[in-house]
Amino acid sequence: MTGRVLITGLGALTCLGAGAPALWHGMLGGGGRPRPVPDPHAHMRTTLMYLFPGDLPAEPAAVAHVPLASGPRYAVAAAREAVADAGLSEPVLRDMPVLLGVEMGNAGLHEARRVAGPDAAATAGPRRWTPLTVTAAAVGAALGSRAPNTSVGNACAASAYALTLAADLIRAGEADVVLAGGAEGVTRVGMGAFNRLGAADPVRCRPFDRQRRGTVFGDGAAMLVLESAGHAARRGARAYAEVAGAAWSCDAHHPTAPDATATQVIRAIRAALAAAGLAPGDLGAVVPHGTGTPLNDVVESRALREVFGDHCAALPLLNLKGMIGHTAGVAGAVGCVAAALMLRSRMVPAAPRRDEPDPDCPVWLPSTPTPLDRPSVLVNSYAFGGNNASVVLTAPGEDR
Amino acid sequence: MTGPGRPAAVTGIGLAVSGLGTPDDLLQPDGAEEAFDPATGLTGRAMRHKDRASRFALRAAADALRDAGLLTGATFAGPASRTCVVVSTNFGNLDSVCTFADTIAEDSVLGLSPLGLPHTSSNSVAGWLAIEYGLRGPNLTVCNGGTGGLDALFWARAMIAADRADVALVVGVEPDTAPVARLVGHRPRLDGAAAVVLESVPHRRSRGAPPRAVITACTHGAALPDAVRAVRGTDRQPVGLWLTPAGPRPGDAASSWCATTRDLTARLGECSGALGVLQCVAGVSYLDASGPGAVLATSADGPDHTAVAALLLTAPGQAS
Repeated sequence: MTGRVLITGLGALTCLGAGAPALWHGMLGGGGRPRPVPDPHAHMRTTLMYLFPGDLPAEPAAVAHVPLASGPRYAVAAAREAVADAGLSEPVLRDMPVLLGVEMGNAGLHEARRVAGPDAAATAGPRRWTPLTVTAAAVGAALGSRAPNTSVGNACAASAYALTLAADLIRAGEADVVLAGGAEGVTRVGMGAFNRLGAADPVRCRPFDRQRRGTVFGDGAAMLVLESAGHAARRGARAYAEVAGAAWSCDAHHPTAPDATATQVIRAIRAALAAAGLAPGDLGAVVPHGTGTPLNDVVESRALREVFGDHCAALPLLNLKGMIGHTAGVAGAVGCVAAALMLRSRMVPAAPRRDEPDPDCPVWLPSTPTPLDRPSVLVNSYAFGGNNASVVLTAPGEDR
Repeated sequence: MTGPGRPAAVTGIGLAVSGLGTPDDLLQPDGAEEAFDPATGLTGRAMRHKDRASRFALRAAADALRDAGLLTGATFAGPASRTCVVVSTNFGNLDSVCTFADTIAEDSVLGLSPLGLPHTSSNSVAGWLAIEYGLRGPNLTVCNGGTGGLDALFWARAMIAADRADVALVVGVEPDTAPVARLVGHRPRLDGAAAVVLESVPHRRSRGAPPRAVITACTHGAALPDAVRAVRGTDRQPVGLWLTPAGPRPGDAASSWCATTRDLTARLGECSGALGVLQCVAGVSYLDASGPGAVLATSADGPDHTAVAALLLTAPGQAS
């Protein structure tokens, strides 16, 4: 398991618009705002989401005769952007595995069918339930990939897991180029579950704010082309960043709540830094999981203080979910896209305004754009089930 | 992809399938003498507040861990921080998701039970396994259609090869619930789970656990002949047992190098994401009984077999 893995292509579709440039400029502009989901059947207190503002992509409408809702279509749009950005074409695409983190899959189709009833026109097409893998299948088919398509179902940490698996595949010599990412549409069940938990903020997503009252979901997709350094060099590809280290752990504590001691979160961060060959003082910035749920933000802040000590006060955090919401299975991948863009520009966008910083979250969210002094970014991604994933991206080797 | 080169040894197997008793029963043509009954086998304190998929998974995992010598009583005795969990399921939480959708429509979110909420998350089965045994290594869920079970074994082996874990608990589970029957189809289908314990060779040796089988190669591709060719390797290992839903017919070229074929779905019904793990359990059982040759397992996704996974299981040798 040796060799460097580079990120040579990016794709994103978020509430800030279509394309990774829209994400970057939107973050510099302070991020987006949530709005109610246009779903008359969402019988719940708050229906806010950070929604993609554009039209639903017209294609692909189906894969293997299965109609596709928003999640898989967003995935294909972002995947096409990423491979175009990387300058990939046949035959590389044919042999490129696709590894996606997906929590809800084609849920929009099934929820529409349920509402429409068995005789409605909206239920046309095969009635069979389609598992999460339909999203990866749609991407593989759209790009002409004949390599394995894999759907990782690790809830809100899914795409961070997928990205790590992709990097492992390359390091093991199994593939030269892998597409990794995630995609989600609107889900009534997901929003309902967080409403029932009292973990859906009725105002906006306010990570690390004392007034925060839970998370606010967002839809969209994020994709990254991972490539072995040798393959990228042979074709003269320019890299955004290097996947320098990654690590996972599991709390094994509670099905939904994080372990308040942060022991396993700390272990994952330290292992990712070690894999990257970095000391805590070497790190330039963090894209935290930072969901806005009361306990998550306190636990993550505690972990960052434990690992980075006094360096934490000068370690800028990108408040990404405060700008695009919690994109569930996409969160880890879009965090890595944001980190790659930060490494390219050597800048950390300013955080959205906080009404009242939480004293129990002693982390630094810069109020103005801040130079990225050290070219390395830690991306954290956590999920129900106590799943923890930490990824360290650095500037491509020649820039370090 | 043929998988990383470092061999991983199977040290334990487990089964909790409605109508079957022990792993040996998978290869028998008829019913088991002491068949597992979910009505009695999925009860008890540890089963409370868990969905059917999680309960099946916990039962199969307990058998596999015990078989591997990694349980002291009900407590995990292995390296908790270096033990990963890999679960393959496609319909594991479909009943919970459907129930939540119905409840939101009829009673609003106020009617939802917080106790059932974790099961709307696609990785809840893997989470419960980690909590039950305190397993703090990587925790991975794959929802990968018909190839998911063999894919799970591939990723478990890859995590050991990548030094992310010393032990991997792999579970394939599909519950037969009313929403599954309604949304996936009424034909016969699996109701149960299978589990496999994989270990790195140094770790297995350090604790003196006997190797039961070695996953010699895994692959995942677009066509069955290519996948089979890839896992058999250049030395074209003789295959004593081919576990497949689509085995060779009389006259096929494959019938010349494959002694026996067995389709587990003929007896169990559609096994979806659990099939590959069931095949591995059946293969280990075959090798335990000194069956000749290697065991080839193949599974495919979709009616057109748009994706195929293959795995070659061999009896342990000196290197394992």
